[in-house]
This record gives sequence, C-alpha cells and structure tokens, in this order.
Amino acid sequence: MLLVRSNLRKSRGQTISILVLMLLASFLLNLWLMLTLDYKENFVRCHERLNGEHVALVIDRRPQKVRSCLTQLLEADDCTEEFYLDDALEMVGSFSYHQGEVNSELIFLPKEKALVRPIGAAELVADSDYDSGVYLPLLYRSSETEIGKTIEIAIGSQTRSYVVCGFFNSTMTGSHNCGMCAVLLTEDCYQELAQSGAASEAAFLSVRLKTPSESEAFRGRLMERLSQEEPEARTISNDYAMVSQSRYISQMICSGIVSAASLFLLLIALVVIASNIAGDIRENMKNLGALKAIGYTKRQLITSLQMQFLGSTILAALFGILISYLLFPVLNEGMISQTGIPYEIHFLFLPFLLTLGILSAAVSLVVWFAARGIGRIEPIVALRQGMQTHSFKRNHVPLEQSFLPLTFALALKMFFAGVKQNLTICITMLVLSLMAVFSGVMASNMIADQTPFLNMIVGEMADSCINVSQQSEEAFLAQMRREQAVEKVYLYNSVGVRHVGGAELMATMADDFSLVNNTQICVKGRVPKYENETAIGIKYAKETGLVIGDEITLAAEGRQQKYLITGFTQNSNNLGKDCLLTREGYQRMGTLQNVSFYLNLKEGTDMDAFHQSVQEQFSGQLHATLNVRAIIEGSSYVYVSLMKMIVFAMLLLSVLVMAFVLHLLVKMMLQRRKQEYGILKSLGFTTGQLILQTALCFMPAMAVSLAVGLVGWSFLINPLMALFLQEIGIVICMFRVPAGWVALSGVCLLTFAFLLVCLLSQKIRKIAPRSLLAGE
Amino acid sequence: MKEILIKTESLSKSFSSGGVMQHVLKNIDLKLYQGDFTVIMGASGAGKSTLLYALSGMDTPTLGTITFAGQVISGFSADALAVFRRRHCGFVFQQIYLIETMSVIDNVLSAGYLANKDRRAVIARAKELFASVGLSEAVQKKFPVQLSGGEAQRAGIVRGLINQPEVLFADEPTGALNSATGLEVLNTLTRCNQQGQSIVMVTHDMRSARRGNRILYLKDGVILGECNLGAYVHGDEARHQELSAFLTEMGW
Repeated sequence: MLLVRSNLRKSRGQTISILVLMLLASFLLNLWLMLTLDYKENFVRCHERLNGEHVALVIDRRPQKVRSCLTQLLEADDCTEEFYLDDALEMVGSFSYHQGEVNSELIFLPKEKALVRPIGAAELVADSDYDSGVYLPLLYRSSETEIGKTIEIAIGSQTRSYVVCGFFNSTMTGSHNCGMCAVLLTEDCYQELAQSGAASEAAFLSVRLKTPSESEAFRGRLMERLSQEEPEARTISNDYAMVSQSRYISQMICSGIVSAASLFLLLIALVVIASNIAGDIRENMKNLGALKAIGYTKRQLITSLQMQFLGSTILAALFGILISYLLFPVLNEGMISQTGIPYEIHFLFLPFLLTLGILSAAVSLVVWFAARGIGRIEPIVALRQGMQTHSFKRNHVPLEQSFLPLTFALALKMFFAGVKQNLTICITMLVLSLMAVFSGVMASNMIADQTPFLNMIVGEMADSCINVSQQSEEAFLAQMRREQAVEKVYLYNSVGVRHVGGAELMATMADDFSLVNNTQICVKGRVPKYENETAIGIKYAKETGLVIGDEITLAAEGRQQKYLITGFTQNSNNLGKDCLLTREGYQRMGTLQNVSFYLNLKEGTDMDAFHQSVQEQFSGQLHATLNVRAIIEGSSYVYVSLMKMIVFAMLLLSVLVMAFVLHLLVKMMLQRRKQEYGILKSLGFTTGQLILQTALCFMPAMAVSLAVGLVGWSFLINPLMALFLQEIGIVICMFRVPAGWVALSGVCLLTFAFLLVCLLSQKIRKIAPRSLLAGE
Repeated sequence: MKEILIKTESLSKSFSSGGVMQHVLKNIDLKLYQGDFTVIMGASGAGKSTLLYALSGMDTPTLGTITFAGQVISGFSADALAVFRRRHCGFVFQQIYLIETMSVIDNVLSAGYLANKDRRAVIARAKELFASVGLSEAVQKKFPVQLSGGEAQRAGIVRGLINQPEVLFADEPTGALNSATGLEVLNTLTRCNQQGQSIVMVTHDMRSARRGNRILYLKDGVILGECNLGAYVHGDEARHQELSAFLTEMGW
C-alpha cells in the first residue's frame, strides 16, 4: 500500500491522464452495454405490456367471407395462440414530419377502441383536453406536430385537417418502419372519415403466436393462404421479427459506433498504461533494485502496480458509469425520437458489472504483461547503474554524416529512442484517423449531400410519385410526356411477393431499369431485363445461400412462377428482403390494379401546383400524389440528425483522446529526459529549441501512422460500415471517400498535435541547468 | 598584465529551503584572468559549485553583477544565457553527464553544431580534440555507458572544449573517478591550460588543486583567501608544501 501511495504521488499527472482515458472508455463501454443489453429489450417489455401482436395484417375489405376465411386459417394453425380482428380504415397517406413528409400505409382506428384492444393495444403517452382530432404515434412528435396544432394529412387523393390531441405508443404499428402506421382518431373524426370514402374500409388482424420467433414464417404462410383464398384482396402485413429490427435501426447504428469507439478508446488506454509502466520501471530501476535488495519479491512489486492501476481504473470506471447515466437522458431523448418507443432510464446492474469487469480484467492483464520486466531486475546491477534499457546496437542519425538541421536531427534521435512512445502514438493515430475518415465520409455522404446515403438506403430518388389506376395509365403517360415540367416519367412500383420456401419480399418493378435514377440499384450482376429474371436483395441472398444464376420461385395472388437471379440489389426499405422484377415479370403472377410512376421534374417546378394540376386533369383516377423528396427528407432526418450527433461526438472525442494521450506522453518524456534537457540547456540549447525538438520527435510516428491510417481506412471504411449496416440490408457500402476532407483532417490533426506538444512542453522552461548541481 | 575575463561585484546567491532562506554566496567581489587555471576549494556546502555555476551563467545571482568578457550577464534572460554559454563557456561535470542515447561523437557534435554552422570545421576540431585526449575512433562511436570512467570524462572534456570556450568550467572533474583515471583527466586539463585555455575548477581534492596556478578558498559563502602558485610543474615539491600551508591556514 505504501508503494502504491508513493507511485501515485510521484506520477500524479500521468495518473490523471490515464484516469481520464479510462473514464471515457468506461463511459462509452457502459453506454454501449446499456444500448445493447437493455434498450432493445425495452421493445420486448413494451410489446408484452401492450400484449402486442406477433403478426399484424390489414386487408382492404370487410366482408364476412374474408373474416371467416381468416378465422378458419388462424384456428387451423398450431402456432396461433390468440388473435383479434376488428374494423379499421386504411389508405396510403402522408403528413408533415421534420421539414419533410412521412408517407405510409395509414391504419385509422377509433381511439377509444384502439386503447382497449385485447391484442396490440395502443397506450397514450401524451394526452390533452382536445376532444376532437388525431393522436399520432410518439415517433412523430416534433415542432410541427405539437399538441393543439392543426396538421394536414393527405389521405389518398384527399387532404384533411385534424387537431393534434396527443401521442400514443404502439409497438407494431407505431412507425412507418413497420410497413403500416396506425393513426388514432376521436370517434367523430373517425366516423366523418369513414363516411367521406377517402379511406378504404379494412379488417385489422392482430395475431399472437405461441413462439414469437416463428413470426416471419407464420406471416409467409398466412399471406400465401390468403392470396389463394382472396387473390384480389390488397393486404399489408408485418411481423415481430421485422418490426423489432426495423424500429431499432438507429439504436443498432448508434450502438455499433459507440461499441467501436469504446473498444478503441480502451485499447489506447491500455497501450498508454503499458507504456507508462515500462517507463516507470526504467525510471525507477534503482528504487526497484533497492526494494528487491531489502526483500520485496517480484510478485509484491507487480501487485503494488496492479493495486495502483486497478484502483485508478475502478475509480475512473465508476465516474464513467455515473457520467453515462447523467448523459443518457440526452441520448435517450434522441433515440426515442427515432424509435418512437418510450424508454424509462433505470439502473442496469449487468452493464455496470460488465463495464467494471471488462476494464479491470483488461487493465490487470496489461499491468501483468508490462510489469514482467521487474522479474529480470538484478538488485546489484540496478543499484549500481540501472538496467540498460536503450539499444546500443545502432546509432540512429549519426550527426557526423547528417545534413539535417541540428534540432531536427536530435528530434529524430529522440524518435528512434522511444519505441514504446511511438507504438502508443501509432495506435492512437490509427484510431483517430479512423474517426477522421468516418466523420469525413458521413459528413460528405449524409450531412452535406444526402444523395449517396439515400441511393444506398432508400433505393430510388425522384421528385414525385403518382399512383394511378391501371385503366388510366396510358392517358396519364401521354399527358405527362406532353407536360413541360416533366423531364422523365417511369414506372417504379412496389408490391409484396413471396419467395416460396422463403420470406415475404418487397418486389420493385419497372418497365426498364435503365430509366431509374439510381445507377447503383444493382450492386452485383445486372438488373432484370426479361420477364423470367429477377434481382434479389444481397443480404437475403447471403442468408439463404442464393447466388446469381440460381432459380427461385416467387408467388403473388396465388400464382407461382420461376425466375432466374441475374443480380443483387440492396436497400433498407424492407431490411434487405427485396427483389426487382420487370412489369411483365410480375404480371406472370399477378395483375396490377394501381401503378406508381416516378417523375423527375424540371428545376424550379412548384410541386404542389403540379400535383394540383395533375389531380384536376385526372380527377378520380389518381390514388396518390407524393412529394418523394419531402418524404425522403422527412424519413432521413432521423438518420441525418443522429449522424450529426455522432460526428460531433467523434470529433470531440478525437480531440480529447489526442490531448490526454499527448499530455501523458509529453509528461513522461519530460520526466524521463529531465536530466538530458538540463545537460542540453547547460550546453547552450534554448528553451525554444528544446520545445521544437520535443514536438518534432513526435511527428514522424504521428505523420506516418496518420498517413497509413487515413489511406488504409479510406479503403476499409466501406467494408467496415457494411458490417454496421448489414442488419438493415446493406451488405456493400459505396460511400464516396472525400479525399480533400481526409487530407485536410490529416493536416489539421498533425498541426493540432504539433501545437499541443509545443504547449505541453512549456514545462521545459522550468528545467534549470543548475538542477545538475549535485552534492551542494 | 593579465586581462580580466570575469568580474563579480557583491555577488550573492540565496536559496529558500523549507521556508528558510539560505545565503550560499555572500557579497563576493572577484576577478578571474585570461589563461589562468583557477581552482575553487572549500569544504562541502561552502558554495563552490554555486559560485562556479553563477560565474558560468548557468545560474543567476540573487544580488550583485557578473561581467563576463565585457558583458554584464547577471541580467540576462534564461535563453540569452543559453546563447551566451554556447559561445563562451565549456563545462566538465563530476557526473560527466554525457547524453546516454547519443554516441560519444554525437555528444560532442551536438554541442559543436549548436555554436558553429561550419560542420566540417566542427568535425575536424572534434577529431583533433579526441586525438589529443587519446580517444580512438572506435571509442568515439561507442555510447557513454560502454566507456570507462576516464574515457567518459575525457569525452566530456572534448565536449567542453569543442566550441573553443573562453573558460572551461570544471565541477569536481575527478570526483567520480579512481586515482589512475583521475590523473589522466588532470593531465588533460593541465595540457589544455598550458595551451592557453582558461580553466575554473571546483575541487576538494588537494592533488587536483595543485594543478591550478591560483587557488581560492571559499568558506560559508565568502572567499576566505587565495594562493598564487604559478605555472604547474610536475614533481614540484615546494608547490605542494605552499598549497598545504595555505590550506592549513584556511582551516582545511
């Protein structure tokens, strides 16, 4: 204990730096564990509390025949635990959301009935005294949808105004990511909507299964049977497996990034500790020799170091965990606005225990590894002259042959003499360069220009989407080709199909895929050109072992057809369960009653006026006119705002990590080389020269590792990002790496590091040559 | 008439230790001359090294002035003193203080390049000095810990002389050496002085002190007395007796 106290007293500065690094590591580690172990679990808890369904299905008709068909199907299936079927209104709709729009299949339910549904009930999370209006899912709470405000909801081809009365939580229908989005109306509004005919009458089915993990297969079976029994019916469905994933996309991304940051930070902290111990042993060789001489064993000396570092680590970890709880409300607010599911912060024992355990075990192992050298110390040798720690095999940068300026040559000598210091710098800079490349890629592909991100995630971007009945298609196309405002119009329609023996897929069809705006719609192989061809989602292909050239059977409206896989596509709309078909290809199975066309409009076109004009021309024949850009901007807002937060946190973390690592290294260097600085000062070196020499000695390792890191990560960032995005269907990332940003960040990091070392080296000023005085 | 190299007026130096002021040097008025081998003697704690470092611009006085080669250095800033030292002073330390991570020749050249931009001239002078103190090429390439004490101190002397300083300050140069290697070092210093190099040496060893032509005796921060012995001649017994008598008189 005395040794521990003595060590801590001697190296207070280093201890503080290590404490801060461990504090940051434990803060992020605990945050990651909380997000991973409990945040998603919250969905399960919430789902159970509301007795949520495992499969939700809306069918756009209510006849008794449909009801009895569904009832028979469910009663005959062994997996069904219970189900509930009631009436609803359904229609594609949109409303303002985060300066954009949200567009989804809207399921209108009477509020009072929705709150007491025996399966899949909604719960109010914000209510008011308004007795007529709409309750929106919590996900859509924003400045545009505050309680008391009037919002306009486009329902099919009509727009209706409602007062926002409150917000509710529903696990399976509370987000456009669920494939369907519930909207609760007060009784008067519900009746008014039902009578207006703006929305279709529908049956809303909620099924609870005995085994929730079978939800995806069960939904497939149900849809298949339904398409056989009711081939004309339009159905929308989701399942527990899909919804539980899709509602936590942000949480998954955030958690992945926090985990990487925490592990990298821990790595830096461990390298710093190892370097610190090695330096301490070298510095205190005589003291250690003296302690060994008076009878201390290797184990006792290593134990004292273990106690010193473990004590610091546990203290730092406790503060780190405390900070994670203090800052979690801020993150939680952000996450709730992206998951739409309320989360109550509470103390989590398992993450707490794991954070402490992982940090303590890692530190203990590193201390043991770094302190093994103590065993080799011979007391007599150590007491006489200290153990030789410098390699004298080679004189780096011999001054006799060097043409370099003296300060630079001496800095190079210092650089070559500090192997452990260089290792610490290299690891730190490799991590920081990853953060810099990541921030650059995100800033360039998501924040400054969202197109690359949207192309990858959303699949296709256009200005407008107009859904028309098939009967009006020819007249509509002829008119659009005449319209001056229209640059391009092309079929881009999505319908559900089933992979026989597999999952429900979202099929996107076009007459000609060469007309679509996203040139990277196929990431491998080619788009389908003929009616017997398809391109399937790459993630789904990987999961099912399908390769290009395989034949698969797809089914729709009760008919099955075989298709040849010509390529792989990817987007996150259906978590990677997608396929591309030509219109003829789809029509081998089913018929299209309504078709969606995407339009590129000339710049400066007033979208609302254009839609108004088209609606007037095709009155009664249009089912929906959508401002695609506004919808995408609305739904991408959550990702963009999350990414802004992450990029800011990354940059802040980079600065903090660099500051503390350099503080530690400079402090260690000044302590270790105090005598050398004194000698050089006595010989006539000025403080400025020595500060410059010190700063320069860090630069070679920094510049090389930074260059290697920036170039290396530039090549590896896309595969790395794909690891994080795999869950949402993105297997191949094609983000553009901004070379200018990468180069600039390298220069900035290097300049910042140089200036910081110069600043931290100011203590050289206090080293007086008279400190060499001995004996007086 | 000898030229005055260093002159001090009312030189005082005090240190605070545990809140208590210790007056190490007290009002010292002193003149040191060009070409002299001045030895500062005194008991431990008398202030010998403090005086040496104050005279050499390694430390600043608390009070008083120091004029060195016509410049009043007592008011110089730390950096100005550093530049002054590199041009005018050479140092030989008891603990030698070669930089361990540099080879012997690099220790010397790092000091030489600092004051002289003509690197070829510096290398030539270093080679010449190494030869004069008997350090071979092989020794020059070694690192300090690979040298014997005598070799290391001779390397230290070469470093001290590389910039042709006006004064070579030596702080107990034989203090950490055995008698044989100590003698080698003293012979080297004597030879340098005979070639015109001014030397100021602190010692408490009578054998070392005998090499000086002027002996100053310091006690409790003041110069108690001085003894002029004339140029050193090997085996001069009278010189030894004169020094003994002086030291006895000083209470040695």
